[in-house]
Amino acid sequence: MAVKVLDWARETRVVGGRTIDEIEADFRKPGNTMMYRIFGFDLFDFWIGPFYVGFWGLVSMFGIFFGSVFYLYGTVILGPYSYGQNFFAGRIDPPPAEVGLGLVPAGQPGYLWQMTVLFATIAFFGWMMRQFDISMKLDLGPQVAISYGIVFSSWLTLQVIRPIALGTWSEGFTLGIMPHLDWVSNFGYRYNNFFYNPFHALAISGIFFTTFLLACHGSAILSGAQSRDPNVVEHINDYWRDIQGYSIGEVGIHRAGALAAGGSILLANLCILFSGWPVQDWVSFWNFWNTLPFWSGV
Amino acid sequence: MADITLPPQSRGPDLDIGNEQTAGRLGKPVFVHWLEDLGFDPQFGPFYLGFWGAAAFIFAGAFTFIWLMTMLQQVNYNALAFIKYFAVLQLDPPPSYYGMGVPPLEQGGWWLLATLFLTLSIFAWLIRIWVRAQTLGLRPYLAYGFTGAIILYLAIYIIRPIIMGSWAEAPPHGIKGLLDWTNNVSVAYGNFYYNPFHMLSIFFLLGSTLLFSMHGATIWALEKYGAQEEEDEIEAPGTGTERAQLFWRWTMGFNANAYSIHLWAFWFAWLCGFTGAVGILLSGTLVNDWFQWAIEAQINYPQVAPPPVVLPPQ
Repeated sequence: MAVKVLDWARETRVVGGRTIDEIEADFRKPGNTMMYRIFGFDLFDFWIGPFYVGFWGLVSMFGIFFGSVFYLYGTVILGPYSYGQNFFAGRIDPPPAEVGLGLVPAGQPGYLWQMTVLFATIAFFGWMMRQFDISMKLDLGPQVAISYGIVFSSWLTLQVIRPIALGTWSEGFTLGIMPHLDWVSNFGYRYNNFFYNPFHALAISGIFFTTFLLACHGSAILSGAQSRDPNVVEHINDYWRDIQGYSIGEVGIHRAGALAAGGSILLANLCILFSGWPVQDWVSFWNFWNTLPFWSGV
Repeated sequence: MADITLPPQSRGPDLDIGNEQTAGRLGKPVFVHWLEDLGFDPQFGPFYLGFWGAAAFIFAGAFTFIWLMTMLQQVNYNALAFIKYFAVLQLDPPPSYYGMGVPPLEQGGWWLLATLFLTLSIFAWLIRIWVRAQTLGLRPYLAYGFTGAIILYLAIYIIRPIIMGSWAEAPPHGIKGLLDWTNNVSVAYGNFYYNPFHMLSIFFLLGSTLLFSMHGATIWALEKYGAQEEEDEIEAPGTGTERAQLFWRWTMGFNANAYSIHLWAFWFAWLCGFTGAVGILLSGTLVNDWFQWAIEAQINYPQVAPPPVVLPPQ
């Protein structure tokens, strides 16, 4: 196999597993963070309860705190109904189109949106960097943080990149639970019919495929988890070959799952980015198909 | 005292399932070795057919044949036109005039027949994956999981049309037809975004993608510590699983283990289909307007005019 497992790793297996205290005693050690590597020390290299803090945890907490304050102030406190109702119906709209890419002064429409988006972006970025830090501490590869970065890229596409491409912050989405659903619904009809957006179709197919893969993987592991047979993994491989001709293997399924999930989210970014810039209408977009030269006349 | 040497195994004796597990396998394994460099298993085949596999393929073949032939007929059997219009051709269900009755073949009878074969094929496949798991000494969890998708399929294509009393309620067979049906069912029942079971289904759909992103990336990041050998790690967690657990404990204060993450995975994926089925079964039967429903449930407010649809500059 192309994937080598360290010789001693399998010997660390303990039937039934160790308690969380035993595990933590082995791994909760200072050092080996991003700041530690650059500056030789890290002032925030500590834990609060189960949570690791670190420099990037501090950045993230800063973004989470102020982002939540602006968001809850705009939706719940300023909302027109009772606080409970405002939690669902409260909304923070992006600045009006006249603002373009400018900054809104405090108290003007769109100020709360810009502040919430700014601090949320800081929070998400800090969270991603914190995942890199924790990965280094535990000697994981960077895959989890990269996967989180792909989700973060969707936020950036919707709230930063596409508004900049179209030249106005008003293209960002409305914050709020029900209002953001309205925004998604309107966005689809605004470009005539989002079901005809090919990148939307590919992204949806990819997300369904990932869910299908997850069902397959979860059930495959559960199907053998209570077996006393030492060859159970071979039986699972045989099972997949028997029913569909191919078993991707225990390494492959995790890579395929992470790639399918990340790939469909990147396609989803494209379906948003191409709407309005450059495509205005996903129905007439398909005119190119009917006018291809080699089947003119049929 | 004589030395007692135990065999070096942790899982107990190999259960002899008998040679019925190899009987019926077709073909010889084919190896594509470069797949190994990507982390994927290089072996293709052998393939097991069996009675239920044969039944599934025959029924699926009958469905595909009817579907493609009726669409070919619509373009007068012109191959180039078939390719050009493949995405917009569709085999429609019977018009509502026929209700639950049996229409002529050209009036949706082909749709009824095709859907019958599709349903038979799906159930043959369900039995196939169930029986094959038992033969190999595995619990039939894959078949359990498949029921989530089957419930959604039955709700859309069979149960809801029967409740509504018309096969016309079911989607046509065809790419554009299925997309249009999905779009129209949302518009017809007052915007599906306000359907709470649609919300749940989307939550479990995106949640499943998130879960696999997290789980897949975590195990990928820990391959050198053997975290991918999950059946062993469930019984005896080693340093790979310990690091995976600590990663999520330190990141979000909570972690699964090598066993429970697959329970999360199974239920998230299964509930995506099940909650979707509930949402579609309620639409047009008990609830005719989800927008109105959301107002009555006090999660949406009639005072607020919906945001205006601003058409982009052409």
